[in-house]
Amino acid sequence: MSDLRTSSTPTPPRRAKLELLVRPANNAEESFEVREIGSATAFVQSRPQRLASGSFELAEGGSRMAGQRHFILKNTTTERYLMLTEPEKFLWEQMDGRTSLQEIATAYVLRYGAFDFDVIPNLIRKLQRAQLLTLTPSSRLRQALARNRRQPVVKAIENGLTVLERINISSRNVQRVFTAMYRFGGCLLFTRAAVVVLAALALAGLAAGVKLWQEGGDIVAGFGGHAIRAILMVKLLFFFTVATHQIVHGLALVHYRRRVREFGFTFLHGFVPTFYVDVTDIFMASRRARVVTAVAGASVHLVLGSIWFIVASLSPLGSFTQAFAAASGMIQWQAFMIALYPFCFIEMDGYHVLVDVLGVPTLKQEAMAWAGALARGRAPRRFGRSEQLFALYVALSALSVAAFVAFNVMLVLHASS
Amino acid sequence: MSTSTETLAFLREVRLFKDIAEPELMILGQSLQERPLKRGQVICREGDPGEEMFVVRRGSIVISKLVTGRVEQVLARIGPGDFFGEMSLFDRSPRSATVQADSDATLLALDREGLRRMTEVSPKAAAAFFHALVLIFIERLRASGDLVAEVTRWGLEATGLDLDSR
Repeated sequence: MSDLRTSSTPTPPRRAKLELLVRPANNAEESFEVREIGSATAFVQSRPQRLASGSFELAEGGSRMAGQRHFILKNTTTERYLMLTEPEKFLWEQMDGRTSLQEIATAYVLRYGAFDFDVIPNLIRKLQRAQLLTLTPSSRLRQALARNRRQPVVKAIENGLTVLERINISSRNVQRVFTAMYRFGGCLLFTRAAVVVLAALALAGLAAGVKLWQEGGDIVAGFGGHAIRAILMVKLLFFFTVATHQIVHGLALVHYRRRVREFGFTFLHGFVPTFYVDVTDIFMASRRARVVTAVAGASVHLVLGSIWFIVASLSPLGSFTQAFAAASGMIQWQAFMIALYPFCFIEMDGYHVLVDVLGVPTLKQEAMAWAGALARGRAPRRFGRSEQLFALYVALSALSVAAFVAFNVMLVLHASS
Repeated sequence: MSTSTETLAFLREVRLFKDIAEPELMILGQSLQERPLKRGQVICREGDPGEEMFVVRRGSIVISKLVTGRVEQVLARIGPGDFFGEMSLFDRSPRSATVQADSDATLLALDREGLRRMTEVSPKAAAAFFHALVLIFIERLRASGDLVAEVTRWGLEATGLDLDSR
């Protein structure tokens, strides 16, 4: 073993070494050789072994952002996913348990003409993480609460959120249910006729909505001066339609012959009640399948919103029915827009479509980190394509959220007046 | 073994015997058996019964523990003035490691009977001996902790396992 003494002066990180005594194969006990093996040497001579074929799936994704191909690697046992670049896929294919990292690095250089010293360790870390850990990132709110938990009120809120977070009504045995729903009518949602009906409904709903907007003052009179209370009721009803949104996502998975791994209800971050469906298996399908799955769920709100608007336009002017239907139509269409609009700091369906097209799966996280560094004056001076994308994402999202808040304030004021 | 001037001078330099007065040291020297060794000669193997402890007088000794097949981990390399084998002497358990001469060497062996005689003849010398032994044990215990940490670090680095980023 190497010298274990420490020095008071700062030194670069020292690589650990092991002293091994190796005896010859002829079992002559008296002869031996002592070899000092550095951890770095052991690392480059290690022979990583990928999962046995059949225990993983590899499917091609895509990227227009960097002009690179991307691949999704799925561990079919642990159900964990990884996104690999084309060079990483090449390295993964070399990891057959017989080829050392040194040989893999050589093969990499021969294929790509250059070597990135971080690519192999980073890939190995990614692979290890995918197999060993489930990361549940905590929200900013929970982080802030954790920092101030010495205050009794904060501690109480944190405990309350923890209790709510534990409320999770879900099932992992839902594939059969979704398959049955698909077989008994759900499949019709994924036909051309359904697209035509959706478009027709959207146009009719738009026409009705425009007409209603022009009559806004008379419509909200139907709430009888209790507009805000009525809107809260509308939001409660809307909440239940979120379940339909998630069910349609699940039906899309069945349509593309992928597996719905979980469906349930929980409190997101401890205070946002929501239904959810695990659609991660669609990562292994084509981009078209991923986009259709994302859009299909959101389309529920377009359909429901259009129907509510049509109902409202057909209802007696100033009646409660008309007011309720109009408000419901509005909230459904807002939900449709929010679900598909990618620039709102929320990772909804549209955001997933956007990052899929761009090939930047961590766009929001990277953009926020870049913006944070910029605010602290630590952003790198380079303003390349990635930085331009980050700036665009943050700026559009900030503007969009401001516009959304302003629109809703205007809506409430319009209704109240 | 009669205690020659040369042996006495050597024993005075051994940390284990540093607080023992010269008359007792001479008596102790008479209990020590000299063992010449050729390079590669095995003194004891892991699992052997043990009745003696050894002080290295000349040469270099390697202490190793079987890891797998033909491979052993080197626990320590010791030289003149160092000692080994005391654990089996006291607790009568089998040898915990294999000890082999890394060069031509000479050892001084102290058996259970020699230790008993020293305790009977001079309790003061025995107390000094055991006190020095305890201090060295403490050092070795600390070194063992460092060794565990070092081996763990080696494992993390050699497998590329990165816990920091998790």
